Amino acid sequence: MNIQEYILSGIVESYVLGLASTEERAEFENMCAAHAEVRAARDAFERAIEQQAFMEATSPPAHLKSRIFGELDVEADRKKPGKFKNVQRPMKPVRSIWSRYVAAASILLLVVSTGLNFYFFSKYKDYIAKYDELVASQNQTAALNQSLQTKLHDYESAMSLMKDPAMAVVKMPGIATGPNPESSATVYWDTRSKDVYLLVNSLPQPSADKQYQLWALVDGKPIDAGVFEISQGIPLVKMKNIPEAQAFAITLEKKGGSVAPTLDAMYVIGKVAG
Amino acid sequence: MACHKENDLNINTTYTEQELVTALKERQSAAYSYLYDHYSGALFTIVRQIVQNTELASDVLQEVFVNIWRKIETYDPVKGRLFTWMLNIARNASIDTLRSKSYQNSQKNQELADNVSMGGQASQINIDSIGIKKILVKLKPEHRVLIELAYFKGYTHEEIAEIEDIPLGTVKTRIRNALIQLKEYLQ
Repeated sequence: MNIQEYILSGIVESYVLGLASTEERAEFENMCAAHAEVRAARDAFERAIEQQAFMEATSPPAHLKSRIFGELDVEADRKKPGKFKNVQRPMKPVRSIWSRYVAAASILLLVVSTGLNFYFFSKYKDYIAKYDELVASQNQTAALNQSLQTKLHDYESAMSLMKDPAMAVVKMPGIATGPNPESSATVYWDTRSKDVYLLVNSLPQPSADKQYQLWALVDGKPIDAGVFEISQGIPLVKMKNIPEAQAFAITLEKKGGSVAPTLDAMYVIGKVAG
Repeated sequence: MACHKENDLNINTTYTEQELVTALKERQSAAYSYLYDHYSGALFTIVRQIVQNTELASDVLQEVFVNIWRKIETYDPVKGRLFTWMLNIARNASIDTLRSKSYQNSQKNQELADNVSMGGQASQINIDSIGIKKILVKLKPEHRVLIELAYFKGYTHEEIAEIEDIPLGTVKTRIRNALIQLKEYLQ
């Protein structure tokens, strides 16, 4: 069979229309590769078929294009061709739109939630700091309250002593010839228990190595009634118990007190009312 | 401006067949859009001539385009034109549908309905009167039957020999002769 006979045998049409057997196809492809005339004959028939098909084209339903492109979008998303089930039912592109919304919403929620976490954490830190401040302030207030309570208690007990009718009051004015004539002190002497309480009305602050000392004068002899500090906030200082005395006096002595008073350092003196 | 330009490309660009194939292999959506706009009508006719049900033919056409998308890598220009390749995809998809169980069942029901109403011919005549089928009418009856069975029903030569009860060699010869005539009618 020469080339021309081969071309006219119907193999060209058979091949192009997909009716040739596997062997015929292989043979035809070889012939095409080898002979330009066979290729030309094939091309001519292909063009004729194509032209005919275009002339007789009928429009598919209008909605079909978007349906097909929805499907192709899905195909493009999967990226792995050949792994699909047979496409019998049309697949609609609804899935991708909704999943996009859901994905967007969940990302938004994540962002909002992360933001809120930071916000609440910083708020939490603020509150911790404020709480610490409040605790400190509360402690301070409590301490102040405690000291005020103590002070109040001291004043109350001092007041109740001074109010007591059984309390003998011995005023000790400043000695005009003494070191400080402006000085003044008062002894509250419990006539029942003989306890002695001292109220310092006014005495100059002594130097660090000196201390004031209270004396009871019994029949002209001085009896030590104890040393004391001048401190703010302590209204009455309890001194030594003195069973008997005609007068009380205060001298400035060396720290810790003396056995006998230094007479030229006597600041105040007062007689017990007869 | 860039947007307009792209739109213009989508609508107006014409591809040479080589350019189109390259763009299709790159999965450019503009190329598939162009492909659909230019080829869907021609392919739809072929599908309808085999499947003969517009709704089902739409499903098959969808499958054809999905198959083109999936198989475009395998298209070899050396072996023929792009349209020929797509035409064979369309024919194969149509015949596969024709042979599917669900179609066979629906056809039985359809035949029953046709027998009752004596209708159902009109649409077939319409689609049968165009394209390759139009030319088929001009063929000698013994050739026409064979082309109908081979091309539109997808039967193998062996199956046709059995159906028509003629020797396999005769089937081959007659089909060849029918195709030669077909070509003459096309030209």
